[in-house]
Amino acid sequence: MRRLISISILLLAVLLVLPGVLSAVGGGYWFRVTTTIGVFSILTMSANLITGTTGLMSLGHAGFYGIGAYTTALLATKLHWPFFLTLPVAGVVTAVFGILLALPTMRLIGIYFAVATLGLGEIIHVTLLNWVDFTRGPMGISAIPGISLDGLFSASDITNYYAVAIIALLAALVLGRLTHSYYGNALRAVREDDQCAASMGLNVVGLKIQSFAFACFFAGVAGGLWAHTTGYISPGDFRFSESILILAMMVVGGLGSIPGAVLGAVILLGLPEVLRPIGDYRMIVVGAVMFFSILFLPRGLLGETSVLSVVRRQFGLAWDRTLNLGWRQ
Amino acid sequence: MFDVFFVQQLVNGLSIGLIYALMAIGFTLIFGVLNVVNFAHGEVYMIGAFAGLLAITQLAPPLFAVILVALAFGALAGFGLERIAFRPFRRFRDEASLKSKAIREATLLSSLAVSIIVRELAEKIFGSNMQSIPQEYLLLKPIEIGPLSFANGQFLIFGLSIVMLGGLQWLLKHTRVGLSIRAVANNPMGAAYVGINTERTIIATFVIGSTLGAIAGLIVGLYQGAIFPAMGFAPGVKAFVAMVMGGLSSIGGAVVCALILGMAEAITTSFFAQGWGDLVAYLFLVITLVFFPTGLFGGGRERV
Amino acid sequence: MMRFKQCKTLLTTVCLVALSCGASAQNKTVAIGYQAPLSGENAQYGTVFRNSATLAVDEFNKSGRLPGVTIQLKFEDSKSDAKEGVNIARKFSDDASIVGVIGDFNSTVSMAAGQVYAQTKVPQLSQTASHPDYVKISEYQFRNINTQAYEGPLIAKWAFDSGAKKVAVIAIQNDWGQSAAGNFVQGFKALGGTVTETEFFNPGTRDFRSILTKIARSQPDAIFVGAFYEDGSAFLQQKVQMGLKQPVFATSSLYEKKLLELAGPAANGVYLTSTFVVESTEPHVAAFVKNYEARYNGKPQQFAAQAYDATNIMLNAIVAAGGANATRAKVRDALAATKDFPGVTGTTSFDPATREPIKLLSKLQVQDGKFVSVK
Repeated sequence: MRRLISISILLLAVLLVLPGVLSAVGGGYWFRVTTTIGVFSILTMSANLITGTTGLMSLGHAGFYGIGAYTTALLATKLHWPFFLTLPVAGVVTAVFGILLALPTMRLIGIYFAVATLGLGEIIHVTLLNWVDFTRGPMGISAIPGISLDGLFSASDITNYYAVAIIALLAALVLGRLTHSYYGNALRAVREDDQCAASMGLNVVGLKIQSFAFACFFAGVAGGLWAHTTGYISPGDFRFSESILILAMMVVGGLGSIPGAVLGAVILLGLPEVLRPIGDYRMIVVGAVMFFSILFLPRGLLGETSVLSVVRRQFGLAWDRTLNLGWRQ
Repeated sequence: MFDVFFVQQLVNGLSIGLIYALMAIGFTLIFGVLNVVNFAHGEVYMIGAFAGLLAITQLAPPLFAVILVALAFGALAGFGLERIAFRPFRRFRDEASLKSKAIREATLLSSLAVSIIVRELAEKIFGSNMQSIPQEYLLLKPIEIGPLSFANGQFLIFGLSIVMLGGLQWLLKHTRVGLSIRAVANNPMGAAYVGINTERTIIATFVIGSTLGAIAGLIVGLYQGAIFPAMGFAPGVKAFVAMVMGGLSSIGGAVVCALILGMAEAITTSFFAQGWGDLVAYLFLVITLVFFPTGLFGGGRERV
Repeated sequence: MMRFKQCKTLLTTVCLVALSCGASAQNKTVAIGYQAPLSGENAQYGTVFRNSATLAVDEFNKSGRLPGVTIQLKFEDSKSDAKEGVNIARKFSDDASIVGVIGDFNSTVSMAAGQVYAQTKVPQLSQTASHPDYVKISEYQFRNINTQAYEGPLIAKWAFDSGAKKVAVIAIQNDWGQSAAGNFVQGFKALGGTVTETEFFNPGTRDFRSILTKIARSQPDAIFVGAFYEDGSAFLQQKVQMGLKQPVFATSSLYEKKLLELAGPAANGVYLTSTFVVESTEPHVAAFVKNYEARYNGKPQQFAAQAYDATNIMLNAIVAAGGANATRAKVRDALAATKDFPGVTGTTSFDPATREPIKLLSKLQVQDGKFVSVK
C-alpha cells in the first residue's frame, strides 16, 4: 500500500506537477534543462547498473551513448524512421555493440576493466570523428526530426519533456526491477566477490555481459533521445569528459542507487545552470561541491553501497599484490 | 614506404612516447604508494609549466634555474595536493580502517574535483589561451643528423627520462626515504609497526612524484611551444593508459608502454591519417589487456 | 591587471546603465543575447567577443541613435558544450526582452543552438560559425564570416598563381577544417594543380611532426594550413624545426597577433588572408582599434573585429526594425535586408537568397614579425 502511494506520488510529480510548474514559470528554458537532466538520468541509471550494482567501473559510457545517438540520427535523417522505431533500434544496436566490444574485456578485473572501457569509449569517439563518409565526421548530423506523431502530437517542449520523462520512468522501472530482485542479488554477489559468486554456481561472465547489455541498451536510448530532442549531434558531444561527468553524477548521487543517479544528474547539470548569475566562476563552485560531497558524504547522497568500497575494489588490485611495484622487483 | 621518412617517423613516435613516459613516471610512483589514480597529476604538470614560464618572463634566468623553479613549485603543489585531496580521506588511523583501506580511495574523485578547481582557477588567472613563450627558451632548435631532423628538446626529453628513471630507481633502492616508500607501498600497517612514519612517507611520495610531473610539464611545454591551463589532460589520459598497460606494478613497464603508444600514433599517421592514431593506440591497449589481463609487465593475476 | 580594469569598466557601465534607467522612467530597454564560451577551453575567444560587443553597445547607447531606448547585452557562458548551448538558446528564447541573439563560437554549439532558435523564431547571428549547413537550418540564421566556399578557392588561386603546382593540405578535424580543406582542394584542382596529401589532425594535437614527415615525403611546392592560430603556430614552429622550406598559405583564422608571439620567427613568410586589417587607415577602422585598445589594453584582432561588426549589424537591424518597437520577426527581416553595411571587417551584405555574407578579403604576408599587406 505504502509502495503504491509512493509510486503514484512519483508519477504524479513527474507527469503532472513538474510540467505544470515548469509551464507556470513560463519556461522553454527550464523544460530544456529538465530534458537534458532526464537524458543524463537515464545514462547515469544505466551506468549505475554496471558500476554500482555489478561493480565494474565503466569509463566509456559516453561512447555507447554516442552509438545510440548516431544510430538514431542516421535512421531518422537517411531512412526517415519515426521515433518509436529509432529509439528501440538505437537501444538494440548499442546493446549489440556493447556485447561485442565488451566480450573480450570481460575477463578483466578492477582497474584493467576500467581502462579497457576507457579505450573502447575513445575508439568509438575517434571512429565517429574520422569516419567521415558514414558519420559525416566533425560536420555532425543536423536537422534530426523531433519527437512527433502525425495527427497526435508535434515536436515541442512538452512532447520532448514527456518523451524523456516517460522513458526515464520506464528505465527506472526496468533497472529498478533488475536491481531489486534475485537477479540483482546475483549481480551484487558478483560485485562483492566474483570468485565466491562463481563457486556458488553463478555464471559470472554471463551476468557481467547481461548487465553490460542492459546498460548499453538504455545508454543507446538516451543517445537517441538526445539526438531527437536536440536536432543536431556531433562527435564532440560524446567525448571522454562526458564519461567522467556520468561517473561523477553516479558518485555524487550514490553508487547503486537509482534515485541517487537521478539526483546526481540533477545536481551536476542543474547546479551550473542555477549558478549562471555568478558567471565565469561557476565551474569552480561545481568542483567545490563535488569535493565536499565526497568529503562529507562518502556514500553519495543516497548510496546503497559506499563509493569507497567499490572504488577500493577497482583500485585495490596493485595494493594487495604480493609482487609489488617496479622499484622493488 | 620504408625509407628515410619512415625512420624519421619512428623518431617522431619515440618523442611523442617519451612525453607520455615523462608524465607516467610520477603518476605510477604515486599510484604505487596510495594505490589511487591521481587525476590532479595533469594539473601538477600544468603548474610546473606555468611556474617555469613565470620565472622566464619575470627573471629570465638560465634554463637550469627555470627547472629548479618548476621543481620547487611541483614539490609545493604535491604537498598541497596531498593535504587537500588525500589527507582528509585518511581520517581513521585505527588498524581496522587502515587494513580495509577503504577511506583512502575516495581520493579518486576528490582529486578529480581538485583538478577541475585548479584548472578553472588557472583559466581565470591566465586565460585559457596558449601563453607566449620567449623564443630563446623554446626547445625547438633544429639539429640535423644526416637526413633526419631532431630538436634539442627531443634530446633533453630523452636525457631527462633516463635521468628520472635512473634517479628514481636509485632513490627507491638506496635512500632512507625510498626504502620507506617501498615499505609503505608494500604494507602500510607493517611499515607503521616497524616505526616508519607513514604519513611523512606518503607526503614524500607526493612531493617526489609531483616534482617529476612538474618538470615534465615545463620541458614538454617548452618543447611543444604550448603552455595553457588544460595542457595536462590529454597526456594525463595517455600516461594513465600507459601505466595500466604496463601492469601498474612497474615504472619501467609504464615507460615502455608509453613508447608503444607514441609509436603507434606516429606510424598510423604515416600509413593512414593522424586522426586514426588515437584509435590504433587504444586498440593496442585493448588487445594488450585481452592477452595480458594484468598488463604487459604485471605479475600473475592476484585476487582483489 | 587587465582583467581588473575590465571588471571596473564593466562595473562602471552597469552603474551608468542603472543610473540612466533611473533618470528617465520611460526609457525602454531592448536586449541582445550573446552566447559565447566564457569559460573552458575556448574562453580566450569568448572573452574577446564580450569585449568587442560591450564596446559596440556602449558606443551605440552613447551615440543616441535611438533616443529613449537602451540596448542591453545579456551574456551567457556556453563552455563550448552543446548541452549548455541549447539550454542558453531556450533561456534567451524565453526572455521576451531579447530581440536577437549573437553567437555561438564553435559551429557545433552554434548548430545545436540554431535548431532551437529556428523553432522559437529568434534571429541568430553568429560572428564565426562557418559550418556549411549553418544558414540552412532556417531563415533565422545569419553569420558575419565568409564561408570557405569563397575563401578556399581564392587562396587556391593565389597559391597557384604564385607558382605552386603541387600542394599539401593540412587542416583541423572539425567542421570548419573540413570545409576549409575541401574548398581549397576543389579550387586548386579546378585550376589544374595537384594535391599531394590531405591531412586532418584531431583537435588538441600538439605534435605535428608525424604529419610534417608525411608532407615532406610527398614533396609539395606549398602547404595550405586550415587551423586556428594556436595550432597554426605550433605547426609553423615544428615545420621550421623539421627543415621544411615550402611556403605556407593559410586562412584568415591565422590573422591574430598572438600567432606572431607564439610562433616567433617561424611565422615569417606565411601568406594569409583577412577581412580585417588592424593597420588600416580607414577612419572607422582606426577609431575602432583606438577605442578597443584604450579600453582593453591590446589591439583588436580578427575575432574581435568580427564580433564588433556582428554586434553593430544586429544594432543596425534593431534600429531598422523600429528601435523600441522592434520584434524578433522585424529584426530578422531587417537583418536579411542588411546591405553594404560598412563594418571594420569590410562591407557586408547578406545574399538575399542564401543569407550568406559577402566580404572582400585582403591578402597579407608575415614579414619580420609583422602582418604586411601584399598584392
